Amino acid sequence: MTPAISCAGLTRRYRDHTALDDINVAISGGTITGLLGRNGAGKTTLLRIMAGQEFPTAGSVRVLGAPPAENEAVLRRLVFVREDQAYPDLKVGQALRAASWFYPNWDRALASALLDDFGLRAHKAVKKLSRGQRSALGITIGLAARAEVTLFDEPYAGLDAVARQVFYDRLLADFAEFPRTVLLSTHLIDEAAAMFEGVIVLDRGRVVLDAAADDLRGAATRVSGPCLAVEALAAGRPVWERRRLGSQASIVMVGPLSADDREQARSSGLDLTPLSLQQIVVQASTGVLAPADEASSETERTSA
Amino acid sequence: MNTWVKVARYNLMMSANYLVLPLILPFSFAVGAVTVGRSGHNAAGYLLSFVIYFAMLGMQTIGRSLPFGLTLGASRRSFYFGTALLGMALALVSGLVLTALQAIERATDGWGLSMRFFRVPYLLNGPWYATWLTSVVGLFALFVYGMWYGIGYNRWGLLGTLAFIAVQALVVVAGVVVVHFEHWHVWSAAGGSFAGLTALGLTGVIAALAVLLLVGGHATIRRATV
Repeated sequence: MTPAISCAGLTRRYRDHTALDDINVAISGGTITGLLGRNGAGKTTLLRIMAGQEFPTAGSVRVLGAPPAENEAVLRRLVFVREDQAYPDLKVGQALRAASWFYPNWDRALASALLDDFGLRAHKAVKKLSRGQRSALGITIGLAARAEVTLFDEPYAGLDAVARQVFYDRLLADFAEFPRTVLLSTHLIDEAAAMFEGVIVLDRGRVVLDAAADDLRGAATRVSGPCLAVEALAAGRPVWERRRLGSQASIVMVGPLSADDREQARSSGLDLTPLSLQQIVVQASTGVLAPADEASSETERTSA
Repeated sequence: MNTWVKVARYNLMMSANYLVLPLILPFSFAVGAVTVGRSGHNAAGYLLSFVIYFAMLGMQTIGRSLPFGLTLGASRRSFYFGTALLGMALALVSGLVLTALQAIERATDGWGLSMRFFRVPYLLNGPWYATWLTSVVGLFALFVYGMWYGIGYNRWGLLGTLAFIAVQALVVVAGVVVVHFEHWHVWSAAGGSFAGLTALGLTGVIAALAVLLLVGGHATIRRATV
């Protein structure tokens, strides 16, 4: 099946740095994928290129089977909600009305329901909105557009926890009714982790992890306890991190745990804690997983 | 609805920008009427404020509306030509208004003050259709010219805009030098001069210029990023 979004050898160089370096990813249609990474990792640049707002230096991107840049057949089926969206002198209601003209699947009822949820007033000028309210406006446009490809770049900057939950709930509810391809860039990984079917982690412009979220859950475990027992359990397995304090050790071990492993850990007094997605992303961003091929083969091993 | 029309309507949502247009005319007319005795009976220079505002409008459409316009899924090309379409519509309506006011000025012998405000010597001083055509073409050219500045600023920032102005100044200076050079050899021999160009002929030149500006602006916006 043709992926909804695919990048091949995508590179974006600016004068003094390389924002994206040979990105190769394929995102299946009808999935929610997390685009994760540190500040400056290249997430926004990648999304801007996917939305046709920026041009690659080399390589190509295809959205719904065609290059998005200047291609209205693609652009009207794609919505991009960005954190730093600049708005002209419009009122909230006007911004939504303009969006309704451009997006063929626009849902007016959903837009007004979201305005109510977020406590946004239609007659308020966009320039007078707080940061969180501007984020809420972006989310409203992104969800009500019901575009086949929906790109969110840090959509909830400045939003409180309740409003973020509204976003997750609304996204999942609408996604269930009208499946689409969602790519969500966020720093609040554990909050959003449950929604992700796939995860792409960028670091310094390179893909350091591209895997199914299910494969990552339980893919790595922190093992803490007496040094000898820790080493005995970890023998022959890949280890991402080792810490030692006196006779105690703590390691991050990659691979599934069998019943025997758990029994061995229990009898040796070892503490086992599965790494959360956020912790795995942190590991990936610190370079233990690079290059990406190795990471995906590791996750394949763990899921096997 | 055609995407160009959507873009034009989207731009019109920033209504405050466009409501200034009908306000400029009475204001500059009032200034012209008050000072008409002192500055002779020709106050047509004040009309310039209205004309220049067209360039500013063109510039604003890019700086303010482009980023969200692209986010709404318009291509750069549609945004550009949709905005130019709006510029053309504004120029057509403004041209009609100027033509009507010129007719009134003629009928009332310069508003009872022997004032020339809408009868710009040489340029807007012919039959109504010539006035309409010349003003529409001129206003549209300025709007597109302003858009080009906005796009240049979007792509290259302040330094780029200054370089853009410098290049234009060089082109004008080079043009003047060439014309003078030609004047010595060919120009006078052909009996040609700008004075020989009728207002309608000049309108044709401006129309050609507007097309060039339109092409230049489009070439510049094609690689604009937001």
